[in-house]
Amino acid sequence: MHDDMPKLDRRRFLAGAASGLTLSFALDLGGMGPAAEAAVATTAVNIWLTVGTDNSITLTVGASDMGQGSFQGLGQVLAEDLMVDPARVRLVQGAPTLAVPAPIGTAIVTAGSGVTRGNFWKLRDAAAIARETLVMAAMGRVGDGARSSFAVDDGVVTHLPSGQRLTYGALAADAARLTPPASAPLVPDGQFKSIGKPMGRQDIPPKVDGSAKYGLDVRLPGMVFAAVRHCPTVGGTLAATPAAPAGALAVVPLVVQAGHGRGAVVAGSTNAFAVVAPTTWDAMQGARRVSPQWQLPANAAAMNSAQFLADGQALATSATPYVAGGSNGPGTVYTVEASTSDARAALALPGTTVVDATYTLPYLPHACMEVLNCTVDYVPGVKCDVYAPTQVARSAMALVVQMTGLPADKVSIKTTLLGGGLGRKAELDFIAQAVQVGMRMARPVMLVWSREEDFTQDQYRPMAVVKASAGLDTNGLITAWTYRNVSPSILGQRGSTLGPRGDSQGYEASNELPYAMGPRLVEWVSHPAAIPVGFWRSVGASINTFAVESFVDELARAARQDPYQFRRSRLTDPRWLAVLDAAATMANWYSKPASGSARGIAVGRAFNTVVAAVVEVSGTSATSFTVRRVWIAVDAYLTVNPLNVEAQIVGGVVHGINAALYGQQTFSNGAAQRKNFNTNPMIRIGRMPQVSVKIMPPPAVLDRSVPIGGIGELGVPTLAPALANAVAALSGTRVRALPFFPGATGGG
Amino acid sequence: MPTYSLNVNGQSRSVTVSSSGMPLLWVLRDVLNLTGTKYGCGITACGACTVMIDGEPKKTCDMDVSSAVGKRIVTIEGLSPDRSHPAQVAWIQHQVPQCGFCQSGVLMKVACAMKAGHHGSEIASEVDNLCVCGTYQRMKQAVATL
Repeated sequence: MHDDMPKLDRRRFLAGAASGLTLSFALDLGGMGPAAEAAVATTAVNIWLTVGTDNSITLTVGASDMGQGSFQGLGQVLAEDLMVDPARVRLVQGAPTLAVPAPIGTAIVTAGSGVTRGNFWKLRDAAAIARETLVMAAMGRVGDGARSSFAVDDGVVTHLPSGQRLTYGALAADAARLTPPASAPLVPDGQFKSIGKPMGRQDIPPKVDGSAKYGLDVRLPGMVFAAVRHCPTVGGTLAATPAAPAGALAVVPLVVQAGHGRGAVVAGSTNAFAVVAPTTWDAMQGARRVSPQWQLPANAAAMNSAQFLADGQALATSATPYVAGGSNGPGTVYTVEASTSDARAALALPGTTVVDATYTLPYLPHACMEVLNCTVDYVPGVKCDVYAPTQVARSAMALVVQMTGLPADKVSIKTTLLGGGLGRKAELDFIAQAVQVGMRMARPVMLVWSREEDFTQDQYRPMAVVKASAGLDTNGLITAWTYRNVSPSILGQRGSTLGPRGDSQGYEASNELPYAMGPRLVEWVSHPAAIPVGFWRSVGASINTFAVESFVDELARAARQDPYQFRRSRLTDPRWLAVLDAAATMANWYSKPASGSARGIAVGRAFNTVVAAVVEVSGTSATSFTVRRVWIAVDAYLTVNPLNVEAQIVGGVVHGINAALYGQQTFSNGAAQRKNFNTNPMIRIGRMPQVSVKIMPPPAVLDRSVPIGGIGELGVPTLAPALANAVAALSGTRVRALPFFPGATGGG
Repeated sequence: MPTYSLNVNGQSRSVTVSSSGMPLLWVLRDVLNLTGTKYGCGITACGACTVMIDGEPKKTCDMDVSSAVGKRIVTIEGLSPDRSHPAQVAWIQHQVPQCGFCQSGVLMKVACAMKAGHHGSEIASEVDNLCVCGTYQRMKQAVATL
């Protein structure tokens, strides 16, 4: 048993429940940086466990399900210490409230690969306390106060001296009247029946018969549909509300809400309209038929991809230093990490071979399978029900309360399944639009973005220009390292004042690298481009891991050393070494690849998880190759459901392949150019490489002071560099600009 | 407002729509409330809207409702009454879906291939649907059993 059993804060039982024992408690549901964290109270109670007199066990989860499988993971964690079969735990979507602490299962933020890792120990503690409360009820029932007289197995408390068996259901009403213990012992390590076991997900069966309900599947009596059309030019506005086209019920101008302007999209401006009609099709047709007059921003012509790249390249060599207390506008260079000795001076030392490289990454759309949508049922003065595929239900609730002026108890946010989230559904723009249309129509209305709107009005992964330089001595040791990432600021566009290190979302995974590399200088520069940017699966790690691990590979080649051994002999962190070794071993790194094939390797860290990937490609050049195999090793400290971890990592690999090969959004005159999957291809089943995942084993004894790593985003960051390194090994051509195939069209 | 009679999942359904050119996808979703068939792209690029029409896979996002008259339409809701179609069984067994949004279209494509007498990797070679979650590896494992 664990000695350390901290008290569970803010837990409470709701007494007198005839239906049984209810325990509500606080879990962390992630955070997305200062802006998001400031908006929510991290101590809010947001989970609700119910043990019913009918023997039911229900876990109401405040997180969102976007396919990442964390509902199932939380169920397995709960089942372990409640000592029940996880298949018996009903997993129910929670709703948010604004109360602090909120009284019942409330949704906060689902992001940062944070649901399982953030809640593992808290949920275990809560489950153990609930279990012991039920045992206390059994003690009272049997009249034996000795804990050692009782055993628990799969929701049944057995009084050992008498053999009397009492189910949790039979004890639930009694337990609800007891004061629970402040702490309770956990199931010992090594005796797990649920944690770490591969299990099927409860959400999957409804996803094979069409019964799973996503945001787009909400249907309400009398409901109508609204199709959105934005000004195609970022920062443009609607000059006049167009007349309703034939067959439409209304045209509603849409105003950017305060706090939701991004880049050149200004809060308070009218940058879009919605056409309302009886069906989605009629609404979309109506929106297409209208000929709106747009007011374009004066700088529209300057907003194009070539200019953004040129600006980034200029700032990679010359930017204005950060000044504490200064205005620090776009173009400011922030110092993320600097050794006490001067890295630039070390580069200039005689006998040093200096290697320079510049990497460029494009704006990247999210392109979730399910386009943005939100349904609002507003009755003036009475209620506003919002059905949304959202990663931020609690922030959505605050927004709807503010927009409608209704008291919070008249507003409900019903989180639907998400047909992919990927960070895009952590934004509120589409919800704010739906509320405007709902308030205008005063009847149920679903607001839908067409695929073209979804691609062209995204809040993209930032473009980036990364300039790296390093020195090598005659033995191939790295003697100095300078690294500068120029990219638009995600947090800056959300109104954050950046500190001396700049935007954490931009520089993450570029600093504190566990390589022996002499003095280092890591910088981040805010790029001035006004295209809206946002959180894209693994955020800064997907940018910086590409640049860092491509560059390390270039150093290995400059030093004429094997890229795996080059990393191995310079890594200073045993976790990184172990994961790197595991990936190389799986790939049989030292075996000679088949003729016309080559391998590349990369390692990195995000959300406390360390990942290494080996990619094998075959082909003839950097423009003609196939991704054949991927071996990927993952150390997240511990694993709840290995079957789901494997799924997430393999899916992340595919996402990484799509981004590296094809992913981009380009701009001309301030307008996004790629509008659908035909000009932003992704691989299909025929191009799927064989992917092997190795999950590093957990320690024999779990230490709750060690941060648990995330999983959902971790397949992505190492894929692009391992692929680029494999292509360099295959062809001798180093690809430093993503995507590999900028002109690709069609099915991918 | 034209009215059509459609044969959907073995039932005759009368639908009244704004125009004969309304795609079958939106008739299924917004008129008949059969929301298992999904909108993904609207340009037949992704396959999320795939249903079975007279045994053949059809992308319904650009198929006029008028052209579906007199044909047998099977949607994901009609594939089986109880998730017992072998493809559905295999999908659960192999834990294929993640977000799940594309899987209706994938399963209808697989079901059509099976109906044509195809098996295993032959089926996989016909499935050209887009899955942003990247569940292709498990799709391949699942169809290998079919």
